[in-house]
Amino acid sequence: MSNAKLKPELLPGVPSRQAPQFAILISSLLLIVLGGCASWQTPPEFNDAVLRSRAVSGDVGGIKLNAAVLSSEDSQRMFGVNVNATGVQPVWIEVENSTNQVLWLLRAGTDPDLFSPLEVSWSFHKSFANETNAQLDDHFNEMSFQNPIAPGTTQSGIIFTNPHHYTRLLSIDILGQGQLFPFTLFLTVPDDKANASNIALDNMNQLIEAATDDYQDAGTFRTRLEQLPCCATSADGNEAGDPLNVILVGDLADIATALVRRDFRASMLELDNAQRLFGRKPDIVGRKAAMGGTPANWVRLWVAPFRYQGKAVFVAQAGRRQGWRLAEAEDQDMMLDPNVDEVRNFLVQDMLYSNGVSKIAYITGVGPTEPGELRDSLGGASYHTDGLRVVLFLVTRPLSLSDIQVLDWYPALRLQEIDAVKKIENDSN
Amino acid sequence: MAGIFKTILAIIFIALISAGCASVGPESEIEKLDYKSRAVTRSDGAVHVSASVLSADESRDVYGVPLAKKGIQPVWIEVENRDNVAYWLLSPGLDPNFFPASEAAEAFATTHESETREVLEQRFSALAFHNPVPPGKTASGFVLTNLDKGVKIVQVDLVASGKSKSFSIFTIVPGFRSDYRARRVFIRELYTEDEIIDFTDDDSFRTALDALPCCATSEDGTRNGDPLNLVIVGGVDDAFPALVRRGWRPTEQTWTGSVLKMINSAMAGERYPYAPVSPLYLYDRPQDFALQKARDNIHQRNHLRLWLSPMRYQGKQVWVGQISRDIGTRFTIHSPYLTTHKIDPDVDEARTALLEDMAYSQSLVKLGLVKGVGAASKDAPRSNLTTDPYYTDGFRAVLMFDIHPTALTDIQFLPWEGPGGGFIDQNSRQVQP
Repeated sequence: MSNAKLKPELLPGVPSRQAPQFAILISSLLLIVLGGCASWQTPPEFNDAVLRSRAVSGDVGGIKLNAAVLSSEDSQRMFGVNVNATGVQPVWIEVENSTNQVLWLLRAGTDPDLFSPLEVSWSFHKSFANETNAQLDDHFNEMSFQNPIAPGTTQSGIIFTNPHHYTRLLSIDILGQGQLFPFTLFLTVPDDKANASNIALDNMNQLIEAATDDYQDAGTFRTRLEQLPCCATSADGNEAGDPLNVILVGDLADIATALVRRDFRASMLELDNAQRLFGRKPDIVGRKAAMGGTPANWVRLWVAPFRYQGKAVFVAQAGRRQGWRLAEAEDQDMMLDPNVDEVRNFLVQDMLYSNGVSKIAYITGVGPTEPGELRDSLGGASYHTDGLRVVLFLVTRPLSLSDIQVLDWYPALRLQEIDAVKKIENDSN
Repeated sequence: MAGIFKTILAIIFIALISAGCASVGPESEIEKLDYKSRAVTRSDGAVHVSASVLSADESRDVYGVPLAKKGIQPVWIEVENRDNVAYWLLSPGLDPNFFPASEAAEAFATTHESETREVLEQRFSALAFHNPVPPGKTASGFVLTNLDKGVKIVQVDLVASGKSKSFSIFTIVPGFRSDYRARRVFIRELYTEDEIIDFTDDDSFRTALDALPCCATSEDGTRNGDPLNLVIVGGVDDAFPALVRRGWRPTEQTWTGSVLKMINSAMAGERYPYAPVSPLYLYDRPQDFALQKARDNIHQRNHLRLWLSPMRYQGKQVWVGQISRDIGTRFTIHSPYLTTHKIDPDVDEARTALLEDMAYSQSLVKLGLVKGVGAASKDAPRSNLTTDPYYTDGFRAVLMFDIHPTALTDIQFLPWEGPGGGFIDQNSRQVQP
């Protein structure tokens, strides 16, 4: 499948940030020449019932959070202009503070590249319309979320984020006195509703609920993981697919938060459906938003029919598209790169920066390929591997790099050390 | 329509030609050494790390293909591990968008038909840094990063089970028209020992910060520019790595080629992290260092300018600076380039956003607010040198950094000024007696 076909699917109806800006530049030049005319008027009092009806809420330590992504229609009604069309995703947030502390919503925790209210309103400014522009700025400031949140009060407003599609995983960090209240909500993106099948969240939660085997002991859990098949299969089960080289253990919200923090976005493509495990296609696929909008790495996840100490278990494939990420998309196929171990090892490194990984272990189960030989997968792809799968345990509490424990489940790391010593000795000879 | 556009571009080009090039300092002695000889070494306990950034010529010699043409910059890293555990080097710490060796080899597999993909992949793999670094051993190799110009802060994070070590190495990239001022600030001392005042108590330091001028100025010092709303305590080992971790990058000095690139970038709306930052003045000189955080494209590029002050706080460097949020590009007659960045008039918003961002850096230990900028209301805004209006509560933020990681919830708030609630003020009241 060509990458050209995949692009529109990856970015459904996303107004490119480049086109509007070019258009704004051109149209502002036209306005300079022809003279501007101001047509914006402060919209009437906004009724938030529509937003409340689809808001998702969460409770943490006496704080209630409600949130909803605005549709283009909502933003037109609330701002008198279509904010969504400028490549900004406005999110409505309401914080009910029942604690006795003053709270502060750390916007950088939601989106480090957040837009300021006046930055968004400036893109709607017209030439020779100072008064209207000032009213527009005031309106955007009034509608935006304001810190702090005093004890016993409720604060609501809009934050202007970079867009996510289909389902928005919203991380909200609220800082109290020496205490952080983290929230993770899954919000529907109303403008993308036609494609909402991309994340079957309810389905995944049902699968997690249905996983009744709950391993309490690390030894039996490890054995169960090692006994998983090496690879996914084709739909008819006759051909081997890509290797199952990653296991993620933790709550769905924690795993999703870690992946999103490292720029993975939910994105299921037709070619992902070819890979089958537990008799079904992947439950969710994350693709790393690489430079230039090209999708480079992916993780395909299946909910396992068992748990570990109450936590969900996901069986996954980490892979990357063969070829250079900035190459012309038309020339590239989404063929699996043969060096799957490199992708797996760098996924581990990436996840260590998500502040969510508590433990790492390596186990067998994929089976190594002979040196110099490739093993076939689906669609003409092939790969070589050391045969290991990595197990990552994820938690909610923000952890630093010093907090990560490496479990000694399999001497993989010691074997790697032996290899490293050999390489160093060879290099110095 | 296209005609008007071309005319304006033509005017800009003429302005550029007449504006001329900024002068560039001579190549330093350091840059003449080969990459291993000029590597900078840092140590933490029993672990020693050396790093060096390759020039375009060096990377072509080492890899046999022109890596720089594809925007790839190899960083050579050597880890000498005298500890009793193995360490892993984390490549995403150097650059979240680094290139795995196999991918970079594939980038050249189609363009260099004389060499097979297999040969390239073997060579790239052999040159790559290989994990782990066993105890008692020294390992070296390359991590392939995105190309930085001028200066590069190489962040080396090493992880072992239950512990980690972080090193930040400030390097000058040879072969570029780099920011020569940065060399002066980081390689030579700007102040003599007599000129340096080291503050050891908070109150006298706060008084000195209150007394700083409100704003940066024009070159002749007659007109006020953007407000000096930022004080950074720390340097190459703690403050700059924290900024780099959150996506702030050193800028290229303003010179004509860079301005040309910026105009191209403004037209195409592409991400271009090296757009120049125009000079403002403090201590009779333009900023020593400018950092910017490129977001989607040139229209959204927050920038901050820093001047190294003669002050020290408990022995640490004190930088005085200015932060604003660029919200677009507009035409101006107040700049020789005819374009300038429109700043968000609510400058305090940019200051608060930086505080929030730095709270996630793991290196911010204390923050507080001092007076000195002077309040300007929304109804009576002040303006900067390019006539952009701004309003402010009149405070400047003071951020103190340390090399040892600090969790977000452990950041301390200095009981100084406060805008009345939340993040800073409420917490500072808590620490007050």
